[in-house]
Amino acid sequence: MTDAAPAAPRPLIDSNDSRRPTGLLLVAIPVFLVGWLVIWPIINAIVRTLWRPDESGAIGFNLDSYVFFFSDQYSINNLTITLWTTLMCAILLLVICLPISLYLRFSAGRLPAYVQAMAIFPMFVPSIILAYAFIRVLGPNGMVDILLNSVGLPKIRTPYLTPWGPVIGLVWDNIPLTVLILLSGLGNVANQAIEAARDVGANRLQVFWHIILPRISNSVLVAISFAVLGIFSSFTLPYLLGPASPEMMGPFMNRTFREVNDPLNAITQAVITFCFCIAFGLFYVRSVARNQGK
Amino acid sequence: MKQLAPALVMASGRRKSIPVRIPTDWTGIIFAVVLSAAVILPLLVVGVWAFTEVWRYPNVIPQQFGLRFWNQTLTRADVWSALTLSLQLSTVVTLLSAAICLPAAYAFARLSFPGRNVLFFSFLAGHAFPKFGLLIAIAAIFLQLNLIGTFWGVVLIQLVGTLLFMIWIPVAAFQSVDRRMEEAARDVGAGPFRVFWSITLPQAGPTIAAAVLLSFVGTFYETEGAWLIGAPGIRTMPVLMISFINNQMVIQYGAVLSVMLWVPSFIALMFARRVIGGGAFARGFGG
Repeated sequence: MTDAAPAAPRPLIDSNDSRRPTGLLLVAIPVFLVGWLVIWPIINAIVRTLWRPDESGAIGFNLDSYVFFFSDQYSINNLTITLWTTLMCAILLLVICLPISLYLRFSAGRLPAYVQAMAIFPMFVPSIILAYAFIRVLGPNGMVDILLNSVGLPKIRTPYLTPWGPVIGLVWDNIPLTVLILLSGLGNVANQAIEAARDVGANRLQVFWHIILPRISNSVLVAISFAVLGIFSSFTLPYLLGPASPEMMGPFMNRTFREVNDPLNAITQAVITFCFCIAFGLFYVRSVARNQGK
Repeated sequence: MKQLAPALVMASGRRKSIPVRIPTDWTGIIFAVVLSAAVILPLLVVGVWAFTEVWRYPNVIPQQFGLRFWNQTLTRADVWSALTLSLQLSTVVTLLSAAICLPAAYAFARLSFPGRNVLFFSFLAGHAFPKFGLLIAIAAIFLQLNLIGTFWGVVLIQLVGTLLFMIWIPVAAFQSVDRRMEEAARDVGAGPFRVFWSITLPQAGPTIAAAVLLSFVGTFYETEGAWLIGAPGIRTMPVLMISFINNQMVIQYGAVLSVMLWVPSFIALMFARRVIGGGAFARGFGG
């Protein structure tokens, strides 16, 4: 690692081929780390769960751990609650963030600037602090209960330790990125296109449906992919705010690995989460690569 | 926290252009009120709890304010050891990350070598998979290497987490340096090192500093890797917070820690947001 640092002051323009190895040498360590700690664990996880000894001890193709996962009711429940949470978060994020982004795109001044600042703000709050704040506000005898009580209303049924706890926390956590991605997509919608549609008598809904939505559909998909990748295997918020059973895949994998001390089944669960997210991951990489290439 | 960097830039890159006079912006007022209640209120409650000595349900405001719990929190040995450990980890990870990523970023921005594009985008791989699943796969390998529960195991896992933005942000910074100034300096006889030190670094420096700062703050709050790889030997600040939330009867400890840790990081992030600016990384976001 020390040999790379002094090499930083390189000459400016390198069109000649004699310097080619230098470039490779400079990027070698980070690339090696990605290979060793991202690519290799994934390959290793897939191979280890598929190619292992069966009961007789003969090493070969073996689907037992997957068969176990999909025949075990507890595992199925955990997978179902994860899918449900992810779906709920995706829907809520769109319902909340699309109107905010549309408002921000088509207005100017101090108030929109404030709304944008508020929508971005959760990004600056680490999720561990968010979890703590959530319990103090929505937990039993939390701030919401206090305020309801002070105006003579009954307590809420607290979402803390129910499936709605992680949903609320994860939506809160993901609002900033979703708003930012949607905003950048809305930046590509030309004002002229909207004005032209209005001139021929289109109302707001028609403008949104026929002019805006087709142009931002890619951004919507990117926002959803991003959120799904983050939410599907999230750990901290479901672990602290969600129910103990059924639990989301993140806490489930953590428990299988650490408390049950069963790496094989933990890796199987990890590979299953990869499979559920592969489409979103590929889509995300493709979008980023395409944008970067512009 | 890891996704901060691209998004920060996006936030500052947007500027509204058409000033329109609207009588009363009811939509905006509703958004502003609802978002304020949903975003500011929870943090405000935590802030109040940190300075509360007695707050019994159902009083709307605490019966007694005071700093007693700051004193109690700050004299706890586990708080100090976690804080020291977290600072050590963040420093080591950030220095290592800068040492290996900045030369690589320079190479990606300025040199041509075989496989440059593929290698550049390979850093996205870590973000294309569900994070905790990937951590489990890494933990299975660390288990064989006896890295579970060790300082260096956590360093490795957190180092991988910083790679993407410690390379992509500095690449954008190096690319935005005015090449004509460098060439001019070379023309009047400056050596390559002199050019780098006097021309390239001052222009790219602030953005790189912001990336380093983001990496430090992001590592400090990194929870999942430290939790999975570090336990039980390595208790960082976020891991300690988890145990406070789960098992601590005294509410104020968590509140004091939240306030104490969050305010400096918030200032640091605001600084980073100001410096990066200009949409240098906005394209890298896929939006």
